[in-house]
Amino acid sequence: MHLEEEELQRLLDGELTAEAESATRRHLAVCDECRRRVAAAETEIADVGALLRAADSPPPEVRLEALALRGELAKGAVRPRGSPWLRRAATVLVAVGIAGAAYAIPGSPLRAWVHAVVTLGTKETADRGASAPPSSGGTGVSGIAQLPGERLVILFQPGGSGEARVQLSDDPNVEISVRPGAATFASKADYVLIGVRDSTAVFDLRIPLTAPWIEIRSGDERVFLKEGARVASGGITAAAARGYVLHVKL
Amino acid sequence: MESEKTPSFHQRFSELFDAHFQSVYRYLNRVSGDAELAADIAQETFVKLYQRGSVPDTPGAWLISVAMNLFRNAASTRRRRLTLLTPARVEASLGDAPLAPDEALEASYARERVRRALDGMPDRDRDLLLLQAEGFHYREIAVALNLNEASVGVLLARARRAFRKAYEESSDAS
Repeated sequence: MHLEEEELQRLLDGELTAEAESATRRHLAVCDECRRRVAAAETEIADVGALLRAADSPPPEVRLEALALRGELAKGAVRPRGSPWLRRAATVLVAVGIAGAAYAIPGSPLRAWVHAVVTLGTKETADRGASAPPSSGGTGVSGIAQLPGERLVILFQPGGSGEARVQLSDDPNVEISVRPGAATFASKADYVLIGVRDSTAVFDLRIPLTAPWIEIRSGDERVFLKEGARVASGGITAAAARGYVLHVKL
Repeated sequence: MESEKTPSFHQRFSELFDAHFQSVYRYLNRVSGDAELAADIAQETFVKLYQRGSVPDTPGAWLISVAMNLFRNAASTRRRRLTLLTPARVEASLGDAPLAPDEALEASYARERVRRALDGMPDRDRDLLLLQAEGFHYREIAVALNLNEASVGVLLARARRAFRKAYEESSDAS
């Protein structure tokens, strides 16, 4: 009499009672066939686990205060005096509200400031100033230019190093530039693969305003998305507009 | 037993966030293949917990059930799948000579194959696989998926085999 499949799985998943496990192990001590089945199932569990982990990406950074505030808002009862979390979160909300009004003014320098701060808060970006548009040619710069088509993924490998300054432009091409030697580039019709050789490199990316869908990924993490007339980064979505620079930690 | 919402609820909420957020996010990311959607729903799940104002008897199972429901609702209206790195011809390359990107591409393709294998599985098998991978007990999985607890092990074994088969078929096709 061999182990039932259910018994075998429960043994490996730690779901047997102590008594049932003892009995099962006594059987395994004398049954080659069941030991072979257990070994095969163990291998399968390990293989499946490894495959699943290979597809994982790191979790986002989340502010507990923001979740608490959203919880209170969902109940329709914001009471900023209720807790230290809510007081801090409410302060942030008011600041964002005031900044949002100024942000909406065409040409407002607050666009760069807001994006820099948002990026700082969510991605710990070091450089918080706006910059001039990147040079797209000439000496001292290497890079790539590509028509984006319907969809384009810009993939930085490995993730977690470097910084990108993303600027929306009227040019039809996506232009990516960096100092020579800092990176390598390869592209196909719907993606650009950037091998980051220097973790301190700052990439300048010019994204066409007309591009329908462009995603920037750092390793497995999406750090920027332009979808039609909207851009999203660091959990913030805004209208796509020229004239400001978004700093993205890669 | 549930505790009333007291000042200590904030402490418990913080502890539950630390203990379960990554697991909830990982489950959602694996089931959706969309990191941004997973992040949104994972946060919404904890907003629901805060909104509830008390700690459930089995917080892990409660959180994952809420996350599953939110995902099902989102998936029915916002089915966005990442289509990363589809094969196409090389078009242009300026500046430095291209690195041979074999390893990076291979890793990306491997992730895509895992995604395709998960996407191709029946919902129940996929949920079984992913919930067990997050350490949920058979009893909790049975409740979450409305299954007979006595057969969870057998169903799980089938789900693992189905996943491996789908992954290998995906590898053969690519």
